[in-house]
Amino acid sequence: MVVNLRPESGNAPATGDFPLLDVRHVTFGYGLQPVFFDACLQLATGEMVGLLGPNGSGKTTLLRLLSGVLRPTQGEIWLQGRELGRWRRRELARVVAVVPQELHMPFDFTVEQLVALGRLPFVGLLGSYGPQDRARVEEAMQVTGVATLAERPFNELSGGERQRVLVAMALAQQPRLLLLDEPTAHLDIRYQIEVLELVQRLNREHGLTVLAAMHDLNLAARYFPRLVLFQRGVVADGTPAAVLEPRLLSRVYGIAVQVGIVRGTAHFSVVPPGSREEQEATEETAAQEPPPRVFVMAGGGSGERVMRALADWHIPFLAGVLNIGDSDHTLALRLASRVLTEQPYAPLSQAALEELRAALATVETLIICPMYVGPGNVALLREALSVARQGRQVLLLTPETVGAEPSGTLQELPALLEQTGIAARDYTGGEATRLVEQLLQSGTRVISHPTEVLGLCAVQA
Amino acid sequence: MKIESRTTAESPAPATTIVDAKAVHVRHRLTPLIFTALLLLLPLTLLAAVSAGSTAIPFATVLQILLNGSHLLHFRESWDPALTIIIWDLRLPEALGAALVGAGLAVAGVLFQGMLRNPLADPFLMGTSSGAALGAVIAFILPLDTTYGLFFSLTPLLAFSGALLTVLLVYAIARVGGRTPVVTLLLAGVVMNALLVAVQTLILTLSPQAQFNLQALFNWLSGGISVNSWWPVMIVGSLIMAGIGGALVLGQVLDAFALGEEGAAHLGLRVEWYKFLLIMLGSLLTAAAVSISGLIGFVGLVTPHMLRLLIGPRHRPLIAASALGGASFLTLADLLARTVIAPAVLPVGVFTALIGAPFFLYLLRQSKKEYRWS
Repeated sequence: MVVNLRPESGNAPATGDFPLLDVRHVTFGYGLQPVFFDACLQLATGEMVGLLGPNGSGKTTLLRLLSGVLRPTQGEIWLQGRELGRWRRRELARVVAVVPQELHMPFDFTVEQLVALGRLPFVGLLGSYGPQDRARVEEAMQVTGVATLAERPFNELSGGERQRVLVAMALAQQPRLLLLDEPTAHLDIRYQIEVLELVQRLNREHGLTVLAAMHDLNLAARYFPRLVLFQRGVVADGTPAAVLEPRLLSRVYGIAVQVGIVRGTAHFSVVPPGSREEQEATEETAAQEPPPRVFVMAGGGSGERVMRALADWHIPFLAGVLNIGDSDHTLALRLASRVLTEQPYAPLSQAALEELRAALATVETLIICPMYVGPGNVALLREALSVARQGRQVLLLTPETVGAEPSGTLQELPALLEQTGIAARDYTGGEATRLVEQLLQSGTRVISHPTEVLGLCAVQA
Repeated sequence: MKIESRTTAESPAPATTIVDAKAVHVRHRLTPLIFTALLLLLPLTLLAAVSAGSTAIPFATVLQILLNGSHLLHFRESWDPALTIIIWDLRLPEALGAALVGAGLAVAGVLFQGMLRNPLADPFLMGTSSGAALGAVIAFILPLDTTYGLFFSLTPLLAFSGALLTVLLVYAIARVGGRTPVVTLLLAGVVMNALLVAVQTLILTLSPQAQFNLQALFNWLSGGISVNSWWPVMIVGSLIMAGIGGALVLGQVLDAFALGEEGAAHLGLRVEWYKFLLIMLGSLLTAAAVSISGLIGFVGLVTPHMLRLLIGPRHRPLIAASALGGASFLTLADLLARTVIAPAVLPVGVFTALIGAPFFLYLLRQSKKEYRWS
């Protein structure tokens, strides 16, 4: 699977060669409910990027953060080498323009009056429109092909025409970055193409940088040279070929899809399972693939090394139960065959527990990463214990800092327990430590380096 | 021309849109004409209001008396000297008061309709009416000599403060985490209205003095211009003129608000700040008007709506036109209220409602679009 890694933004100096837009480890939530975690994204001038993701994945929220309407809970957004919070609203409106999904206009503004509103960041509230402003308005209407509609009331236009007027209004702001929130959501196919062709033209001929949230994967593949797949964080970022990967999409969108190139076209197409037969066919091929025999329990980044190692060795594995927003969850979506998921910050629910039991039933090797154990996830260890007692292989990874000792089963129990470092990660008042002790008594092996896991898993496979 | 070339170039547009486009064209040409008409209408209605009454005074005499008062011209006094006093001390303040109230309410209507993005909003939406009424009721039952209509009796003062305090309270209640969502604002306004009306009823029921002043209170609540000296006109007039000036400055803000709060923010506006300014400005205008007029409905609702149909939705011209139109409308209504069954005086609110309510219902049934609160 060729998926670009997240661009490591690091702490780029504010001077010199900085990207137009730099989203650095941004976390955002309404109240306590996080919408997404640790999102990183960079946009260079002149790029045209499609933002993909299922409903509720946080796409729109990301756009609202970028337009300065919302402020990140954590992390920073840099625009033209300056942190977004340090921009004055009016200054920002001269660099970033937003095209909404649709506009409910309660009053009968004409197209020209509406496009002229795009000049407000320049005109000011007391000022009046000069000849230069009028010229810009005229130009914006020409470019978007709405000049002939100038005198018509906005509310009487067709959906496609309205969308072009909204683009014209954004252009009147003379922005460098154009944000579009599902610009084609309410349009029929002809107008969808029309609007995207327009945006593409603005990008190519006028050098406008574009970031558009897109619903339609096929249109996104056709018009955007770079796609970002978003699911409470950046899951994949790259060319359509890299991002429109069937297994990745089916995990993120929760539906089996096929990706291919339709004869006579030059771009990728994503096809959902159409008929039942087709779906059965895909299920059949899926059934032919042996189900993964390895299960990874992780959380809080503790599973990163072992999951990457398994993926590198092409050992299929399941992961879970991970909370949405956990960095391990984001990574597992990319690497694991299947991810068992729980709501953000929520303790393990009964439903998730039953799903976990079902998944563990066919597993031959269970890997427990050095995660923190609290009341919310201690149930994972209980399930692990029952797996161990059934005589199946359970591997307990030690934290990275330990691991000087060679792993083995010959050591004394207290020393082994010490080596797992569980006491420091036990937030259950001793229950987790007792469970680990019982796990060790039931034949669980302590592993100090993830690569050792590979050998043991490969033998099993 | 443009329209025709467009319809041949692209798919044929439905006939209605062509008509609408023409209507907009016509509207553009009509705008200066309508402003001229409004500018002529206002002095004429004022003149009519001053000349009509229990003693009808001919236009010519009214003009001569007024010009004499300006000390620029002098006409030989061929009329009853009492007329000079009637005009200068009774009719002119009242007519100007009516014009000011009408202008204030109409502009407040534009502000609230624009800010809430709803052409059917009204200046009393945020609790101003019940706040003013409660203030008036307290003034009426206090054991002071607050005879309705006396110069600077307690009534206008308490009505004014009641209206402003209520709006401030509603705004404070609706403000959550640095934001004031419109829906919360409206709900808080509705609840506050209900609460204050209950308090008002309670006071009236428990107060022994209430029965003496009930008729006067009833008149106040149904709305009537109550000015018989220059001071209240000056004070209320300067408040309302300042308010209209502020509204004209904020015209572009209202245009941006038509895009919705987020759309306005994308154009570089500090939305919450301007929302606060608009609410306060609208409430100041309403409170100032209510303090000398009592509760007069429909002026603030119907005037902006009608003028929006005539000159279009851009807010600066709309505010100017609404101020002129509202002033003429209420002057005329006041004139009718005083003359229809003279010498008895009807509450002005009755007339504005009789004209306004059917018009409002007509608009409701006519409008094909649904009006949303968002």
